[in-house]
Amino acid sequence: MKMSTRQIAIAGVLSAISIFLGVTRLGFIPFFAGASITIMHIPVILGAILEGPLVGTIIGAIFGIFSLVQAAIAPTGVVDPAFQDPLVSVLPRLFIGVVTWAVYRAVRPVNELLALALAAAAGTLTNTVLVLGMLALRQYYAPAILWTVGITNAPFEVAAAIIISIAVITAWKRIEFGRKGADL
Amino acid sequence: MEDFEVMRNLTFGQYLPVESPIHRLDPRSKLLSTGFLLVALIVSRELAALLLAFFILLGLAALARVPVGYLLKPLHAAWPFILLIVLLQLATFPGLPEAGCDTLWQWWILHITTCSVRIAALTLGRIIVLLLLINLLALSTSLNEVIHGTEHLLRPLGRIGLPANELALVLAIALRFVPLLGRETERIMKAQAARGADFGRGRWGFVQRVKRLLPLLIPLFITSLERAEDLAVAMESRCYGGSKGRSHWVQLQANSADYCALFLAVIVSAILVISPW
Repeated sequence: MKMSTRQIAIAGVLSAISIFLGVTRLGFIPFFAGASITIMHIPVILGAILEGPLVGTIIGAIFGIFSLVQAAIAPTGVVDPAFQDPLVSVLPRLFIGVVTWAVYRAVRPVNELLALALAAAAGTLTNTVLVLGMLALRQYYAPAILWTVGITNAPFEVAAAIIISIAVITAWKRIEFGRKGADL
Repeated sequence: MEDFEVMRNLTFGQYLPVESPIHRLDPRSKLLSTGFLLVALIVSRELAALLLAFFILLGLAALARVPVGYLLKPLHAAWPFILLIVLLQLATFPGLPEAGCDTLWQWWILHITTCSVRIAALTLGRIIVLLLLINLLALSTSLNEVIHGTEHLLRPLGRIGLPANELALVLAIALRFVPLLGRETERIMKAQAARGADFGRGRWGFVQRVKRLLPLLIPLFITSLERAEDLAVAMESRCYGGSKGRSHWVQLQANSADYCALFLAVIVSAILVISPW
């Protein structure tokens, strides 16, 4: 498993953004009743789309570990005590990268924009479903409560992820092509 | 101008630079011990074992010369959430009579059974011990030590193909970049405000927040990705070659105290996992 220097740098920087959004609470958009929409998984999605499943998984792992540590050191949310459990905070996040990349790769021949949107949606849903699923499996919350939270939050989280992912990647790819000159 | 201050909230981790036997332990033994205990805590189903772990961790905290206030700070912040989880578990967890759960109290859709009491107590114990464990690690280990320790620990995995040095480097880059991102965010917020965007504190309702997020996030992501590219070029021009044949500046020395700590961690983990008293 070889990692290019570029992959290392992008993984590091996107992980930093994920940590930053979590630590400064900028990544939390408050919603009803204490549950918020989070965008800290978006660097994972971007990393997977731009550099592949390995980078996505690494960013996901760092995202998960830091959410675990944050939950223990500076808890501010209702789910934080449960996030101290790595099966809830780390394990689900390892899959976001792979799923996002797979969807992106599969849909890309059809339409690039559609691929971005579906990949972002898939990544977000992976995060939501797996985290809520682990919360239920580990019996931290009753499934009914998690179901309600999931149904109300998921559409908005998916929408936010799609908008931000498309905006960033289209801007980035334009910059890339611009710098390289003619795209032969 | 305080509306634009991001750097103020940026301290994370709570390393306390005190002289203590725990602080002096090799970060590898601390990380490994924490890892074993973490896994054991997730699996554990014995309340008595959790209690034992709790007291041992308290003892270690005393050994680490950590002021009780620091250790209790997260608990002080988290106790309403912990209470909520535990109470919800008590009242809403199904316990079928066939499974041997006697109902102790019932009202409308809420019912407290012996099973839910057990689950709630286990969860409470697990959450509190996890909190102690992770905070103890954070208080006694600086971020630099964590990075070096992780890199050393991952090295043997390099033999089966895992890019150990690269992974540690990713972590180091990430931690180095977080303060940079703080400064960058401040700059972007001020620049956008100068262009008439509606930043500043107050009125961070849902719609406002989403509207403000995009002009902040996109420049942040783009400049970060550009920085990453520059970093990659810089690394390559200094002949960075990955893990193969790489020597290391920082050499970690383990001594008997580290092996003792590791041994203790393994024993406690075993008790947590195996015991039916």
